[in-house]
Amino acid sequence: MSRVTDPDLRAPPSPRVEALIAEVVEPDEPEPQTPVDDASLTPAQREEAARRAEQDRRDRRLVRRLKEGDERAFQELVQTYQNRIFGLMLRMISNRQEAEDLAQEVFIIVYRAIGSYRGEGRFYTWLYRIASNTCKNRIKYLKGRNFHRSVEIDETPQAQLPASDGGSIVTLQSQVPGPEAATEGTRMEKVIQRELAALDPEHRLLIVLRDVQGLSYQDIIKITGLQEGTLKSRLHRARLALKERLQPYLR
Amino acid sequence: MAEPKTAEAEELMSAYLDEQLAPEEAARVEKMLAESPEAREELSGLQNLLKLVKGLPEVEAPPDFYEKVAKKIRRRRLLRGDNLWLLALPFQVLSVVLILVVAVTYMLLHLDGDPSVQLEKDPTVRPPPAPSPSSK
Repeated sequence: MSRVTDPDLRAPPSPRVEALIAEVVEPDEPEPQTPVDDASLTPAQREEAARRAEQDRRDRRLVRRLKEGDERAFQELVQTYQNRIFGLMLRMISNRQEAEDLAQEVFIIVYRAIGSYRGEGRFYTWLYRIASNTCKNRIKYLKGRNFHRSVEIDETPQAQLPASDGGSIVTLQSQVPGPEAATEGTRMEKVIQRELAALDPEHRLLIVLRDVQGLSYQDIIKITGLQEGTLKSRLHRARLALKERLQPYLR
Repeated sequence: MAEPKTAEAEELMSAYLDEQLAPEEAARVEKMLAESPEAREELSGLQNLLKLVKGLPEVEAPPDFYEKVAKKIRRRRLLRGDNLWLLALPFQVLSVVLILVVAVTYMLLHLDGDPSVQLEKDPTVRPPPAPSPSSK
């Protein structure tokens, strides 16, 4: 494989970039690893632990190559996580263009700040922490400027394409019987997105991380810095708030 | 208003749904569910909500996502203050070279037309005769 080296990766970032990085990048801390051969785990949990361990090994290899200046490693990292980070931003911001810009910003920060990632914690949670901090900063900024955009989910032509063509899959249709299932599914997605966008950003983040993206409690604790008890009660309050807003659709 | 213990158990309901509780915490929630129809209704509502939210489609980043990121990185690298001299250098060099070329060309043309310089260069060349008043 050809190796494209970037001397910038080994040079210290400029003061402006340093300030931006300091705002959203926090040092990674050691994380407990689940032993794959733990007898107390169910077969499904063992399989999940093995998958995570393999993903972590792969990420560590890519990060090491990136720190050596290999841009191909950066490309692999971006392509591995771009859907998840873009998805997080889209559900948080409800605007496709804004979400794309923010997701790109996250990877640019990763590129510039990779020197500060020590490799003690998982790359995955470090990346998500940068993404959630970037997103929260952006929401604060947009709120300060009275930015308001209506929910645009699935209104773009791209979103109407099947996933293989770069669009999204309407899975909500499976919950709505009848020939107009796809249309109804898309409408429901808009409704959920609209009510999600009306939640407090902290609540929204927990619902997106846990219920939309399916992250584990341990990962969410690492990403948000919340205590376990606080996460449980705050997630519950977030769900209750969303349930109340979606009450007419839950019958 | 819910009693403190019930309120605490209520807060654990989401974690109970996610199977994230220790056995004794789960037992507290189950006790509350057995005793309270309202709690059972709330649990059922939460289950419906989760079904709906977890059914949201996965979204995919645009196909050219990485190319856009790489392009932004390249552009910012060029525009960074410490790299601006790289951007300016070719124009500075070009300007200096252009001025030098114009100056040298002008000097050469000027020198070629000056007879005193031609005489200096080749003494055998006779200067053109000065016009005599008789030729008029």
